[in-house]
Amino acid sequence: KARGRSASIVKVENVGPSSQEEVLDQSAYANVNAEWVNRKGAWLIHPVLIVAGKILIDTLPGMTQQVSWTLTNTLYIAFSYLVFHYATGIPFDNELHGGAYDDLTLWEQIDEGAQYTPAKKWLITVPIVLFLLSTHFTHYNPILFAINLTALILGLLPKLPQV
Amino acid sequence: MSSAMASTSANLEPLFSFLAQSYTTIENGFNRVPGSAVIARYVRSSHQNDPGRTLLELVLAVFAIWTLLQSRTRADKGDRHFIQFSEKEVDELVNEWTPEPLAEPLSPQEQAELDSIPVIAGAQGPRPRLANTGKTVLNFTGTNFTGLAGNDDIKNKAIETLRKYGLGSCGPPGFYGTVDVHMDLERDLADFLGTESTILYSQGFSTVSSVIPAFAKRGDIVVADRGVNFAIQKGIQISRSTVRWFDHNDLKSLEDVLEGIAKERKKKKAPLTKMFIVTEGIFEKDGQMVDLPKLIELKYKYKYRLILDESISFGSVGRTGRGLTELFNVPVGVDRSAKQSPSHWEPQASQVDMLIGSVANGLASCGGFCAGSKYVVYHQRINSSAFVFSASMPPLLSVSASEGINILRNTPSILSTLQENVRTMRSVLDRLDCITIPSHPASAMFHIHVRSAPNATLHLPGASAGKPSNPNSIVPRDPQQFDIELEERLLQEVVEEALSQGVLITRARRLRAQEMVEARPSIRVAVSAAFSKKECEKAANVIKAALVKVLGKRR
Repeated sequence: KARGRSASIVKVENVGPSSQEEVLDQSAYANVNAEWVNRKGAWLIHPVLIVAGKILIDTLPGMTQQVSWTLTNTLYIAFSYLVFHYATGIPFDNELHGGAYDDLTLWEQIDEGAQYTPAKKWLITVPIVLFLLSTHFTHYNPILFAINLTALILGLLPKLPQV
Repeated sequence: MSSAMASTSANLEPLFSFLAQSYTTIENGFNRVPGSAVIARYVRSSHQNDPGRTLLELVLAVFAIWTLLQSRTRADKGDRHFIQFSEKEVDELVNEWTPEPLAEPLSPQEQAELDSIPVIAGAQGPRPRLANTGKTVLNFTGTNFTGLAGNDDIKNKAIETLRKYGLGSCGPPGFYGTVDVHMDLERDLADFLGTESTILYSQGFSTVSSVIPAFAKRGDIVVADRGVNFAIQKGIQISRSTVRWFDHNDLKSLEDVLEGIAKERKKKKAPLTKMFIVTEGIFEKDGQMVDLPKLIELKYKYKYRLILDESISFGSVGRTGRGLTELFNVPVGVDRSAKQSPSHWEPQASQVDMLIGSVANGLASCGGFCAGSKYVVYHQRINSSAFVFSASMPPLLSVSASEGINILRNTPSILSTLQENVRTMRSVLDRLDCITIPSHPASAMFHIHVRSAPNATLHLPGASAGKPSNPNSIVPRDPQQFDIELEERLLQEVVEEALSQGVLITRARRLRAQEMVEARPSIRVAVSAAFSKKECEKAANVIKAALVKVLGKRR
């Protein structure tokens, strides 16, 4: 493969189409895999899932607010990292694009690689707001605070615009 | 000192009071804003006696607001090469623009090229009549190797079929366009070649450029010869597969490239993908012939599949015209001599996986075919673009091709006549030293190149001869140097001189700006079995005289 993506989670690299033929293959049909983030309900689902997850975690016996908020925070960031920055390619209708999207994560496929689009701004804002809320409602000891902060930074790094 | 302090404090006194006053006004203003108590309580609770936390939260909040305020950038695709014009520049450009005419007038070279094409009155054949002079000439341009063009038996059969079926088949083969005569022809071809099955395409050029992307996709490996024709180059480009090139007709270079790929794959631990070797039986570019047994040996050793384009060699080599496989006695498709258990099909038993031929060149009809095992052919019925999206060939041409196969089976003397004609012409032309002929001695279509002057080819023997060319690029390490325009002009003079003596030959026409690597200008002579030995000798002498006349004066 010509472009290998590095496996590091902190590296921000540019993985765009490398030849005219890839551009042609990508633009042949609309990319259904990346389009849904702009549709109705795709933004609301984030707070809904977070609230539902928090309630679920709160039901576990022996759960304190500190641990609950930490878990919500880290699980949200881990799950969104998996969906947006780890899995590459298109799970269905891949033949329409001839494998042109095989090396691109969902984040890079959204809005054809344009930066600072409304969907991307929303996706950057949600973990920040979640972190601020969780630090507000609890009294984190330094260890938990460090865990939350690290999770936030690792979750925000791949969302920075690629140079 | 006290006076100094007193004076500084006197200077700073109004400043302090101003600061205290402004602080109280801000605080009052803040308290009057609704929701200020909430914010104050929030900050106090997050502060938790640690100013670091508040600072961090402030930084995050500022970052979030800054992100929200950024304007969006353009998508990846056009961004790198997009030049931002100002409104004025755009207006200027629009005012300056004049549309190009739909049909541009021809340049002098293009006009000369157009004028040089002779027009034939009447049907195509080995001895056509020119429209402008009315003379009959010997036609060495068409790929009518077996001489079946204009054959009377075939013509009668075609007329019968035309009365029975009409002209066209009116549809793609998968959608009501397959007629029983198509299936008959596919069966006839399969029997003739000894494969399990064949599939018919309606145009010879688009056959191979559709077979390759039907099997090779993005991520697969295709190892191709540097001298393959334009259709194969396009097929490889469409397939989006990873392509590695080996030197033209050089099986040692092929082995090196295959070794290199095997090593690379082992090093990177890449997953196993489909691997193909693509080459031609007789190359259309220069008439060389590939060493098929050695190629098959390599294919088995490194476990590749072989796509062999026999557009030129089907119908022109072999005892009955079956092509290279008959010449070298290689079984195609299923090896009937090997013992096979019926419960599983074993790729080792087949030798050439996909054999592509041209019914237009070999049997003087139209179209192409791909022969192979049952599974190879089944796959193409859905997955091959030219089969699914093109109309099938007219029934009368299928019947002509079937009849052509019958004739070839029953009169093997056609091929021996052809081979003798080729030998006659080559024996006359090989002796000239103003030209080079790179083609194989048995090839019915050979190319004549202008011999470049000896001091033009400066090969430093030690430095680059031993090093291999880069397999990623189609250009070899030391490409041939030639002056295209000069050689084309000289060859055109030769062609015109030969035409004035009654022999019709042609330069090889190329799409100059579109091929991946420029082909050397050449005269392409296609011998036919329809000529007698005397006619071939006469034609060869005419060509020789023309060559000597035009190229001899250069020295």
